[in-house]
Amino acid sequence: MALLFASLFVVPVILAQAPSTPWDETHSFSWEYDFETGYISTSPLFTGEQLLVRTSGHAEPSVTAFDLSGTKIWDRANPASTNNDMSPLLHVEAGQGECGSWPEMVLVGWTNGLVEAVNPSDGELLWSTQSEVAGWGVTGQFALDEEFVMIPTRKGIGQYCLADGQQQWWTETGLGWRNGVAVDETGYFIGDEAGQLWHINRTGNATSHALQLGKIRHAPLFTDAGILIHAQSDTSSTIGIFNPTDATLTQQIPAGPSPATPVQQDEYIVTGDSSNMRILHCTNACVVLDEIPFHTNGEIGWFDNGQIFAPSNLPDSNWGFFTFDGQDNLTYSPIEVGLHGYGTAAPIQFSDGVATFTAFGNDQGILRVYSDLEESGTVPATNFDWGEQMLIFGMFVLLGSSSALLLSGKREWFLRTSSLFVLVIVVLILPDLSSQWSKVFDEQFPEQASPEEWNEQWPDAWLGTQIVIFEMDGEEHSFGGFVGHTDVLSLTQVACKELDFELSGESTELGWYVESINGIEGKGWEFSVDGAKGIISVDQSAAYSTSIVRWTPV
Amino acid sequence: MGVHGPTLSPLTSVLLDVVLLGCAFWLLAKPTKRPIFDSLFMVTLVLSVSFIRVVMQPFPNVQPVTVAALLVGAQLGARRGAAFAVLVAMISNFFMGDGWWTVFQAAGWASIAIAGSRLSLVTSTGLNLGRACMASIIAAFWFDFIVSFSILDGTIGFTEFIVYLGHGLPFDFLHMIGNLTFVLWMGSWFTQLLEEDPSLEEIEFTVVNGHGIDG
Repeated sequence: MALLFASLFVVPVILAQAPSTPWDETHSFSWEYDFETGYISTSPLFTGEQLLVRTSGHAEPSVTAFDLSGTKIWDRANPASTNNDMSPLLHVEAGQGECGSWPEMVLVGWTNGLVEAVNPSDGELLWSTQSEVAGWGVTGQFALDEEFVMIPTRKGIGQYCLADGQQQWWTETGLGWRNGVAVDETGYFIGDEAGQLWHINRTGNATSHALQLGKIRHAPLFTDAGILIHAQSDTSSTIGIFNPTDATLTQQIPAGPSPATPVQQDEYIVTGDSSNMRILHCTNACVVLDEIPFHTNGEIGWFDNGQIFAPSNLPDSNWGFFTFDGQDNLTYSPIEVGLHGYGTAAPIQFSDGVATFTAFGNDQGILRVYSDLEESGTVPATNFDWGEQMLIFGMFVLLGSSSALLLSGKREWFLRTSSLFVLVIVVLILPDLSSQWSKVFDEQFPEQASPEEWNEQWPDAWLGTQIVIFEMDGEEHSFGGFVGHTDVLSLTQVACKELDFELSGESTELGWYVESINGIEGKGWEFSVDGAKGIISVDQSAAYSTSIVRWTPV
Repeated sequence: MGVHGPTLSPLTSVLLDVVLLGCAFWLLAKPTKRPIFDSLFMVTLVLSVSFIRVVMQPFPNVQPVTVAALLVGAQLGARRGAAFAVLVAMISNFFMGDGWWTVFQAAGWASIAIAGSRLSLVTSTGLNLGRACMASIIAAFWFDFIVSFSILDGTIGFTEFIVYLGHGLPFDFLHMIGNLTFVLWMGSWFTQLLEEDPSLEEIEFTVVNGHGIDG
């Protein structure tokens, strides 16, 4: 009897512990910088001497530069940028071309349509240009093409001279969001929210291909098999291979919801989504070599040393560390970098010639930098987890006892020990099991509900974005224009911040439980997503790209 | 977290508690007067199991009360089993959160206690372990099914209800494994604990009745 209760009461202690991994053991914390408010939504940038980080959302959107010891050198803010800035920073080496010469610079695209070139050493503005805004401005990844930079604007694509930012031409495509540009010898490729893949030649003539796979929210990737697109639809995604020669889709590989930005090294591609990380090998055709359950929706970092990092975009979650053996195996281990919660920014790795550093940032607005211990010579501190060891010991005792009792014919005692063993296992795996089960169940049996109707009083900029409504004292408080949130908790948190509502709740084994919103507790809160009542926890309930979430006090 | 069922006003909550308490006392009332010791035993039993339920709260859907209701019904009969179920639901929910769902939890456990009294789980040699295990597995799903009705507040359709039940299957499975573990570890001990010693009147009645037949 004592064994029964002792084992059960140890379980919560164990669940709170994170296991140590090979990466944790070979890297040590170097420094951190807390921006206090705002998100780090895209990867930091290393320019050779400075580490640049962009932050936005609930704080003045800015780019901040640090030296390698973590001292802030400069920052450049853009108070007019009102949405989350997520266009990746682009480092440009000094050069010259037909339209002039330019110094080393960093290009920054803002959601108010502004594009700036700044000096990485002091943040001084070199030139700027304004692009069009339709709710949002620039959100995608730039690309360099000799003396030009190709900028994905909200409604099209433009070619700008690196020397002075002068627009050479601009061509309208489709409405885009986080849609990066890819450059090849024929010109440029870019996707849009309507699922069209656009080809633009170097004089600005555009041709579109309606792939009908879903929203294209990354720069297309060139492979030997064709152009790879990971397109997002409401409840799933598709990895498509497009042959530009005959304008046909040659492959469609089904994948999970809310895809991450795919990354490429030679003929290998890594993709991610809310269900899996996977690696593909693309020669004549693309073949999925391996996939591992993991929830990631933003950028993926794949470095020259073969290390792959992906932020897990979940509440209280950690980072995923993956390695590829060069054959067909992708291995995964969680890593502890002291940053938990939502995140979509890839880390960056850089070296000062002595040690290799890895910088992580996420939605909490904290930048943490780790250094490689093998090179810096620091000895890792061992972290002995008594709770975990006790549980493992207890489980071995139960397993061993079950076997011995079975062999000695003591059936009743065998059933007792084995049932306790199974119970502990099920209690431990239940959070993950129920989460995965709910996802599969939702995919198999999508709910039919009357969707929330568009309110004519809402601004047009909210069209096609995520919106949250709070019902309080007979009034509706709404905020919209959100994008990229994959679950209801993340979307609710950002809406509460915008409306200056305090959101309190607690994380339970069944998921996140909202206790009060704006001080209103009542007997709890209920939510619906697109008219369908929420029946699982708020962090496990999916939010889609145009979801309307409604909160009602009970 | 999600669905809560209908909201009760303070007055409705009090009325509901009064009705539940009334049911429990009506079930406990018997034509023959029960010794004070029996009543004290029932009170201790109810408080202990309620306390265990509150303590086990961190483990989602590991429900010792289900097995307890089954065995109390089997050993003490349907009336006292159902009363036990209603009182445990009320007292433990006083600490864990009271509401519309208390009615369904009380109904679920009471129905399990009644089933326990009809299933011949206890024989002259003690607890029939195989039968008790089977009953505890079915009881887990039955209880979760009954409690699921508490979400019906007029806004949830049949399909949504089925989806809700489907989402809960991993928790039903855990309830089932928990029940099995409780039966295997504590079933026989708990059954013996509940075994009633015959009163002096009952012994006398048996003896006299036996002599009467003999005579």
